[in-house]
Amino acid sequence: MDERKAAYIEYAQAVPLAFAIDPDTCIGCGLCEAMCLAKAINYDDTERRTTLSVGALILSPGSQGFDPSGLELLGYGRFSNVVTSEEFERILSASGPYRGHLMRPLDREGPRRIAWIQCVGSRDVNLCGNGYCSSVCCMYAIKEAMIAKEHSHGELDCTVFNIDMRTFGKDYEKYYQRAKDKSGVRFVKSRIHTIDEVRETGDLSIEYVDEGGELKRETFNMVVLSVGLRIPDSLLDLARRLGVEVNKYKFAATHPFSPVSTSRPGIFVSGVFQGPKDIPTSVTEASAAACAAATVLAEARGRDAKSIEMPVEIDVAEEEPRIGVFVCNCGINIGGVVDVPAVAEYAATLPNVVFTDQNLFTCSQDTQDKIKEVIKEKNLNRVVVASCSPRTHEQMFQETLQACGLNKYLFEMANIRNHNSWVHGNDPETATNKAKDLVRMAVARANLLKPLKEKRIPINRRGLVIGGGIAGMNAALGLADQGFEAVIVEKEAQLGGLARELTTTIEGEDIQAYLYELIEKVNQHKMIQVLTESLIVGFTGFKGNFTTEILVGPRMYERKIQHGVVIVATGANEYKPKEYLYGQDPRVMTQIELGKRLEVKGASDLKRVVMIQCVGSRNEENPNCSRVCCQSAVKNALHIKELNPDAEVYILYRDIRTYGLLEDYFTEARRKGVAFFRYHVDNPPVVESAREGVIVTFKDHLLQRDLQVPADLLALSSGMVPEDTEELASILKLPRNEEGYFIEAHVKLRPVDLANEGIFLCGTAHSPKLISETISQALAAASRATTFLSQPEIVLSAVTANVDQDRCAACLICVRACPYDVPRVNEKGASEIDEALCHGCGICAAECPAKAIQLNWYEDEQVLSKVEALLEGVL
Amino acid sequence: MIVAKQKPIEEIIEGVRDYEKILIAGCNECVTVCEAGGKKEVGILASALRMYFMNQGKNMKIDEVTLERQCDHEYLEELRKIIDRYDVVISLACGAGVQFMAEKYFRTRVLPGVDTCFMGVTEERGVWSERCQGCGKCILGETAGICPISRCAKRILNGPCGGSTKGKCEIDKELDCAWQLIIDRLNELGRLDDYEKIIPIKDWSTERAGGPRRVVREDLRL
Amino acid sequence: MRIQYPENIKIIGVPCTGKVDVLHLLRAFEKGADGVYVVGCLEGDCRFNSGNLRARKRVEQAQHILESIGVGGERVQMYNLSSGEGPRFAEIAVEMTEKIRKMGPNPIKISKEKNGCMI
Repeated sequence: MDERKAAYIEYAQAVPLAFAIDPDTCIGCGLCEAMCLAKAINYDDTERRTTLSVGALILSPGSQGFDPSGLELLGYGRFSNVVTSEEFERILSASGPYRGHLMRPLDREGPRRIAWIQCVGSRDVNLCGNGYCSSVCCMYAIKEAMIAKEHSHGELDCTVFNIDMRTFGKDYEKYYQRAKDKSGVRFVKSRIHTIDEVRETGDLSIEYVDEGGELKRETFNMVVLSVGLRIPDSLLDLARRLGVEVNKYKFAATHPFSPVSTSRPGIFVSGVFQGPKDIPTSVTEASAAACAAATVLAEARGRDAKSIEMPVEIDVAEEEPRIGVFVCNCGINIGGVVDVPAVAEYAATLPNVVFTDQNLFTCSQDTQDKIKEVIKEKNLNRVVVASCSPRTHEQMFQETLQACGLNKYLFEMANIRNHNSWVHGNDPETATNKAKDLVRMAVARANLLKPLKEKRIPINRRGLVIGGGIAGMNAALGLADQGFEAVIVEKEAQLGGLARELTTTIEGEDIQAYLYELIEKVNQHKMIQVLTESLIVGFTGFKGNFTTEILVGPRMYERKIQHGVVIVATGANEYKPKEYLYGQDPRVMTQIELGKRLEVKGASDLKRVVMIQCVGSRNEENPNCSRVCCQSAVKNALHIKELNPDAEVYILYRDIRTYGLLEDYFTEARRKGVAFFRYHVDNPPVVESAREGVIVTFKDHLLQRDLQVPADLLALSSGMVPEDTEELASILKLPRNEEGYFIEAHVKLRPVDLANEGIFLCGTAHSPKLISETISQALAAASRATTFLSQPEIVLSAVTANVDQDRCAACLICVRACPYDVPRVNEKGASEIDEALCHGCGICAAECPAKAIQLNWYEDEQVLSKVEALLEGVL
Repeated sequence: MIVAKQKPIEEIIEGVRDYEKILIAGCNECVTVCEAGGKKEVGILASALRMYFMNQGKNMKIDEVTLERQCDHEYLEELRKIIDRYDVVISLACGAGVQFMAEKYFRTRVLPGVDTCFMGVTEERGVWSERCQGCGKCILGETAGICPISRCAKRILNGPCGGSTKGKCEIDKELDCAWQLIIDRLNELGRLDDYEKIIPIKDWSTERAGGPRRVVREDLRL
Repeated sequence: MRIQYPENIKIIGVPCTGKVDVLHLLRAFEKGADGVYVVGCLEGDCRFNSGNLRARKRVEQAQHILESIGVGGERVQMYNLSSGEGPRFAEIAVEMTEKIRKMGPNPIKISKEKNGCMI
């Protein structure tokens, strides 16, 4: 939306965070190559062909936003205040063209009214040919509306024009309700007719048909088109070259029971190329694809990995400190502001500094080699680097120390770039003085640093899988097929879980046949042990070394299992409705019951079936959407139509949420005559029992009147409720949300990890989901687990708390203050902190009233040495 | 545990204003646990006093020490070598510790740095409450483990009194009526009959009323 | 983002603000600092649950002590922000510097040099 310089960084989070040259803008002077101090630019670089020999391939090419230029009625490209949702993201971004100030493009005025138009390039076979739902646009539109409201200086009206709001992900519905009720975002069920510009003002007039079929017109200052995801043609070409089949929308063709495998063995797929999806699902699927690939490659694991031999550590504990200080110019980043030679000269005057040097780039490979030489030559036993952030570079410098046999904790950094030259660029003199202060502080601390020993603990390479449903079994196979032992703990007498109740997937795949095969595979696998009728009663240890006590049925004898990881796959059940005469009238049943009934009795006796959506979901008791019920209803409706085309099927819904490729089935259902009626949450259908059928009364919004329909069967699209895991959660100390689903470590970035290290999560224990999604998540959990299990040992950070047991007053304050319940008062009456469990936050050290606890590397004297060095000579 | 609370810094400053060399002595027992006089509190007080007097333009020597216990000779003995270097000692121990130190080093002025409050328990971090007054003759066996001496405002032995309303004491609506607690617990224990038994008049001679007390066990002495 | 802020701010890193001891805060003033502030994660976002809430209590404790000994409680402050809030960080640096400038140098400081320190 803005001009870009020829040398640019793609975006602030880009990896690697490095400049690139835009060939379209570059004038070709080649000056950059000559100017680059680091000699990092090869201006004449050309494309090269490389051949790699690999055992598996993972395709994660992503997608593009839909280009709405072709949809003329929406005015994109003609009216400057009509932008795509991607462009609006840039408008809201602090690094965007308007620096995060909410303005419209035409006149850079702050808008008072913004409209979002949903389903642009999605759910639309006629105009753009994309029959699928893009799955992400409803959520991002809500998010954009909420952030726009935050960024706006005055009142801002936000209206989202939609067909259905599809907030089907974990806790998404709560976000939608919050936007509606708390933030006042308006949601209008509608079909957009045209968008016109009001010539004088640049405002936009939207003509739409509302729910009642009435044509309406409203004016907005700005319009955002919520564009869908599409697969670019270039990918079609890639797929063809790789021999990978794609479906009619160009997404990679996959099977519901092997969701990350393409049509070609050894080639796997993840992300939007597999089907439209959001970030958490993409991240999950990426891990799943990694699991599938690692399974194929299990034998070759680690074969090409190179390991670095570290020399034996030199004992410097008794030596006087001999400190070397390396001051970095960072090209001109530091050197252009700070007088680096003066800083280096100053450092030489500080206590115990025996060597100083300045480097153009201290992080470069040749400087590392130079540092190594100096350490040996000058017998340095402490190193200070004055350069940039320890966040990015500390580890690298520590490795340099280790390569010389120095303990890595004998290292200290002074950040004279991010904290100094970058932020005080306009005052070189004070910046130089500050750099000296920072170096003096660092040297003071370096003087007090002690070598610390990192504990190495061997990892038990067995995984415990809790729950023997589709998720648990797939997770166990994911481990076992990679050569790691798995133990499945199932509370029932048989494996299978909720899937035992299911018939076919919406694609028509036989779930029972799949389940039978899966159970066989698990039972036959020599690396998998199955414990049925089993109950977890005790749990101790830490990642890599857990011990779980299990009562194993039917005799309930006790077993102790040692394992390195846990995968939680406890699953969920169908909600047993209290609503709509369920349990009172035998003609009222859930969708799962209907599925079985159709299997057993068919549909020839059915003249009319009514379905009610959102039973036990999206209400006060369970505010979330159960994700799967819309497709269950469509699946059963299609099945009825297939068995008995004359049967009438009515589906009463609030929003139809057949996301992704499921949308095709919704379209097919409408085409086959399944009738869909929207009901409002405050005016739900009314159900009565009568001899001639179950009488359902509901409002038809087009006819604007109540309809009364007698049905042979009433199917309730009943939501999901998680298994009761209250006791398990308390034994394993796992966090759960209000509805009882486990809470992942990070919604987007760590969707299958639990915050408790070494414990992973999959399946419906995480949130409601389809079988294909469950399988993906199970493989993902196995992949996360094997990433950890495949290491021979864990190296624990030495930054842990230490108790001086002689000083300890056993006051219990550390026991109460620790966020991880690590300290305990031992038999000798003193607090003891297990270094394997300590996370190194230092809270106990700060709170201890006897000052008997020190945090390694941040000992009080070490922290205070910096305070004192900074303020040296002030008084 | 003996529960104490820190004296206001202003009061401590007034006490030491005229001296030049101050030793602040903490105790690693009860006062550490109730966060009034452990090593950390010693450090905080020392730092505060140093700053205050520097601000006044006065050069003071302020040192810190924390003894294992101030109510035992052997631990107090650790100060013998250095005590003469100071004009005054601020002891952050309970009243017993302050006195024992003063008895031992009677040429040195010893000032209390905390107010000793009661014998009690930690209800939660930062909240302590009284449970025992050291009456010298424990009757907890008869009162369902709840002490009417320390927990009833009137120390009634056969309660409750007329001031008990909805289980709370008339002097403070937040304060539980000890006798309500006793009755509830007796009920819980199935021993409500005990409530009918009259507790005889207490012999207060074992309490403070009988004058300063000591415990002597001949079997332990040589 | 490289937003400019006053150079008298010097940062001392700790793994979590929960590690900040009231003794550390006091020591800075004892050695002549004019102002100290603790920057922690947003409340509710502490990786260690309550580290930043404890830090706030420690800062309040230090404020109380500094006020009662005549150094000035306002000289020590607690701020919460996320790692993505560079501009806010610079704003705080300016805000704190201005606050301390208004209060003048640490009264116990003999020399007139100005210095700040931040944990």
